[in-house]
Formats: sequence, C-alpha cells, structure tokens
Amino acid sequence: MRSRTYQNSYASLVALSSQPTAWVWGAIGILVLALMPTLFGSFGLNMLTAIFVASIGVLGLNLLSGVAGQISLGHAGFLLIGAYAQAILTTDYKVPTLMAIFLSGFVAAVASLVVGIPSLRLKGLYLAITTLAFTFIVRHIVLFAEGITRGSAGMPVDALTIFGFSFKGDVRFYYAALVMLLVFILITLNLMRSRIGRAWLALRDHDIAARAMGIDLMRYKLLAFMVSAFYTGVAGAMVALQTRFINVDTFSILISIEALAMVIVGGMGRVHGAILGTALIILLPELLNLGFSAAGDNFKTLMADRIYEVKGMMYGIVILLFLRLEPEGMAGIWRKSKRFWVQWPLSQ
Amino acid sequence: MNYFMNLVMSGLVIGTLYGMVAMGFAIIYRATGMVNFAQGEVMMLIAYMSYTFATIPGMTFIPLLACVLVASIVLGLLIEWAFIRPMLGESMFSRVMVTIGLAVVIRSTVILIWGVEPTAFPRPFGNAVIRFGDMALYPGQIFALISLAVLSLAMWLFFRRSRVGIAMRATSNNETTALLMGINVKRISAIAWALSAVFAAFSGLAFCLMFSLEPEISQMGLRGFPATILGGLDSVVGGAFGGLVIGVVENLAGGYLGRGLKEIAGFVLIIVVLMIKPYGLFGQREIERV
Repeated sequence: MRSRTYQNSYASLVALSSQPTAWVWGAIGILVLALMPTLFGSFGLNMLTAIFVASIGVLGLNLLSGVAGQISLGHAGFLLIGAYAQAILTTDYKVPTLMAIFLSGFVAAVASLVVGIPSLRLKGLYLAITTLAFTFIVRHIVLFAEGITRGSAGMPVDALTIFGFSFKGDVRFYYAALVMLLVFILITLNLMRSRIGRAWLALRDHDIAARAMGIDLMRYKLLAFMVSAFYTGVAGAMVALQTRFINVDTFSILISIEALAMVIVGGMGRVHGAILGTALIILLPELLNLGFSAAGDNFKTLMADRIYEVKGMMYGIVILLFLRLEPEGMAGIWRKSKRFWVQWPLSQ
Repeated sequence: MNYFMNLVMSGLVIGTLYGMVAMGFAIIYRATGMVNFAQGEVMMLIAYMSYTFATIPGMTFIPLLACVLVASIVLGLLIEWAFIRPMLGESMFSRVMVTIGLAVVIRSTVILIWGVEPTAFPRPFGNAVIRFGDMALYPGQIFALISLAVLSLAMWLFFRRSRVGIAMRATSNNETTALLMGINVKRISAIAWALSAVFAAFSGLAFCLMFSLEPEISQMGLRGFPATILGGLDSVVGGAFGGLVIGVVENLAGGYLGRGLKEIAGFVLIIVVLMIKPYGLFGQREIERV
C-alpha cells in the first residue's frame, strides 16, 4: 500500500505533479493520442478533434465556474466572438492564421470586461443572468452589424496555415488541435498552482475571508473572467478553423448549457475532469446511437428526425443524474476508483 | 402621438407576460433563495397541456381555467418533490444547475410529444376587437391585463396579510431562524413552487390566447429575466411593475431606434440598471455579516 498524501514543504504542495509516474503516464497518453490517426477514419478523427477544441473552452469555463466560483451562462457569447474574430481578422485584415487565433482570444477577453465589470458588484444569480444577457446582446450585434459580420449569411474561414505549412485536412488539423490542447492544459495546471489560482480558490470558498487575507477581489474576479474568455475565444477560433464556415446559429444558448454540463459531469475545478466531461458529453449521442441501433428502425427514425431534442434531453438528464448521484463528477469517480485499487485489500 | 400610444399600449400588453413570468421567478426566489431557470419551460408545458384540455369537445373557458390551475399546481408540487427537495442543503450552484437541467429536459420532452409546428389555440372569447375610446384590444390582451392586475393584487395581500405569506417572508429572510420559530420550511418551498406554476399557467394561457401555441413560449422564460432583475429578484409585485416597464421600453426601442433593438433593449437596460443599483429597483440590499 502506498501513501503519498503527506507533503513536507510548500514546494511539494504546489508541484505540477506529486508523483514522477504521472509524467510517464502523461507521455504514454500523448503517444497514444498521436497514433490515433492510424486507427480511426475521418469521422472518428473529427470527433476527437471536436473534443480537443471543446476541451479548451471548457477548461476556461472550469477556471471561472469551478475554480473561481462565478456562474456564467455567457460562454456561447465568447465562443461566438472568438469564431467571428478569427474569420474577420483572416479574411478582411489578412492577419496570419496562428496569430489570429491568439488575437481572437484577446478580443474575447476584452469583451469579457463588459460582463466582468458589472460582476464586481453582483453575486451568484444576478451574475448568471447578466452573462445570459451578454449572449443575447452579442448575437444581435453580430446579426445586425452586417457590414462587418455579413449578418445572418455567415462567413467562410481560411484554413490554418503556419509559416506556409497548411493544416488543411483531418489528420493535420487533428495534430494542430492536440498541440493546442496540450499547451492550454499546461497553462491551466500552472495557473492553478500559482498565486492566481490559489487566490481564485479562496474567493470561491469565501470571498470575505479571502479579502481579509489580502486578495484584491476586484482584480482577481476580472482576471478570472478575462482568462476564461481568452480560453473560450481561442476555442471559438479553433471551431471556426475546424468547420471552415461560421454562422450565428451555431452558437446558440444551448452551447452555454452544454459547456456547464461538461464542467459538472467532469467535476468542478479539476483539469482532467474538464476533459473527461467534454469527451463524455460529445460522445454521448454516438454511444446512445450505438446502444439503440439494436432497438430497431423506429428509434433510428426518431433519432434522425428529432436529434436536437433527444440530445437536449440527454444533456439535461446527465446533468440531473450527476448532480444527484456524483456531485464530484467523473474526476470524483476516478479518484475513488484509484483509491480503491491503491489501497486494495484494505479498501472499504 | 397615435403611433407612440400604440407602441406603449402593445408594450404594456407584452409587459404583462413578462410581469407574470417575473412574478413566478420572484416567488421562488423569495421562498427558497434560488432562481428557477425552468420557469419558461414550465410555462410551455402547461400551455401545451391546456391545449390538450381545450380541444376536449364541449370545453368552455371556466372549466378549462379550473383544469389548468389544478394541473399546474400538481405539476409545481411534483417538480418540487422530485427535483428540488432532494437538493436541499446542496450548494446554490448545483441547485440552480438542477433547474437548468430540468429546463432542457422539459423543453425536449414537450417537443417530442407535441411537435414543433405552431398550432392555433382555440379562442373562447372570439376574435372581435373590443374598443375603449381610441384604443382597440383583443380579448386575449384583455385577459392578460386582467390576470396581471388580479395576480399582483392577490400577491400583495398574500404577503401582507396571510399567515403563509408572512411565514414565506420569514423563511427568505433567514431559513434557520424560521425553522426554529416553528415554520415548516419544506411546506413553504412546496407552496412557492405551486404558486409559481400558477403564474406560469396564467402567462402561458395569455400567450396562447394572444399568439399561438408554439415552442417559442419557452423563450419567454429567458426574456422575462430583465423584468425580474429590474423589479428586484425578491420583490414579487416589483416583478409585475418591471415587466410593464420592460415591455414598453422594448416596444419604444423597436419602434423608434430600429428593429434589431427590440429583442435586446431589455437586456441592455438591466446591465445599466445593475451597474447602478445591484439589487434592482425594488430589491432588498443583502447586507453580509462576517
């Protein structure tokens, strides 16, 4: 039986990983993901890419909701801003695509100040409603500023090109998304062990106590909003690059709810949870499809006609089930099963 | 001037819908301190159920109203018992997320059962315009205005005079103290959900009588938020007032400033209001003690 729960120094408490084996497993995981294109066809690969891209945004929402404790129903808005910024910057202003991805993130971060500044005085539910209002306003601005955004017609998006190397095609873009996700995972892990991450945790758990300990609430709340919007903006740019065509309808309010479902299903405030949750929610319709293909043609036609409703219902049921049965989400399941096997004959 | 009056009048009529939705939000917030993000979906479900009642042959308006009210009270109690009560004592985030999950499930279920196509709702009062001097109103619009007036008066009396209403105020003020004073907090929460479903029933019926039966009814929930915030989340009668204001503001913005602004005028307004008064116009300030 091993026991590594006790740390003797602050340095080991904030280390990126407490166990050297984690690095080995991480490397093996990356290797497996890198070999995926040899195993899967175009459909499976696109699915994985979608999971990677969504994970970036969910990591951002997780920082805001899970780590800093601010509810946001406005992430569809940030995603929309990121996607449109990418499309407009590359087609109208001829900005290099890689640079445009990060610029899109910054544009979303700046836009987040619109929500972030009222949030300084609002708490909890008032904030959730303000973020919801933000999504509505952004959608309408995009629809009616036809001169810049082409309105409801939508916009085509250039493929990702880095120094003349084009990432057109499923396999190439898969690797681009994988690398991007790894970069953001590293950024998140480092943010969470830094002063900023610990300040966010403190203001989530008790903001008055955090303030008494010298944490500038205003600064850290705004920072949480901006960082989260940056992640989501980048995710939006990646969505634009993957689908190569964007339209306001792609970014409905349901996306915000889907993202919250991913955070909850994964486990609030956990990095691996965010990724597991995203994967589960994106793969759920496929799993259901597989499960019910045995149920006959009747069900298949229902799935084909009403896929949007069936999906919505599933997100709802999954949210309800996880909240009732496993509030810690998949990260909690992972932790419990790990502890079970580590302590095995003595586990309870 | 006539154009202006018309905009104000139709704004007031739409505002009654927002007002009833806002009252539904506020009563749950008052009793349990949470926001029910499924309010619009409950409204949609009751509207579809009332369509099923209304198409029973020989159904007239008064029995229909009675059926709908009973059904909505049962629905409110059921939701509270099945989804809200088990979450008692959980964090606010998870409790609110339960209502969001519920919203998605109800909306999808309704569409799966009744379909997405808009359907004409039976008009029990006919379609003739009724004139009051210069103003012309449809029966559905009059129903909406009267409902709002009756409901807000009833609520005002309820909170001032009735035992349950006062107990509800005590619960929202401090749940633990209320419990110690012998108030049945669980029953208060159940009553709040039932009442909120009654508001949803009236607003749903009014929507159907004015427009048609369509899945867009559920959007009214989200669109009722500005009214709720403007009136203050914890003020039930304030919500009715907020609804009327938002309805008029939206219509004036749409009429004078451009069509795109109609949908977002309310949201822009509340962002501005919240920057100045973080608890709405009629909301009580929360003072925190460490």
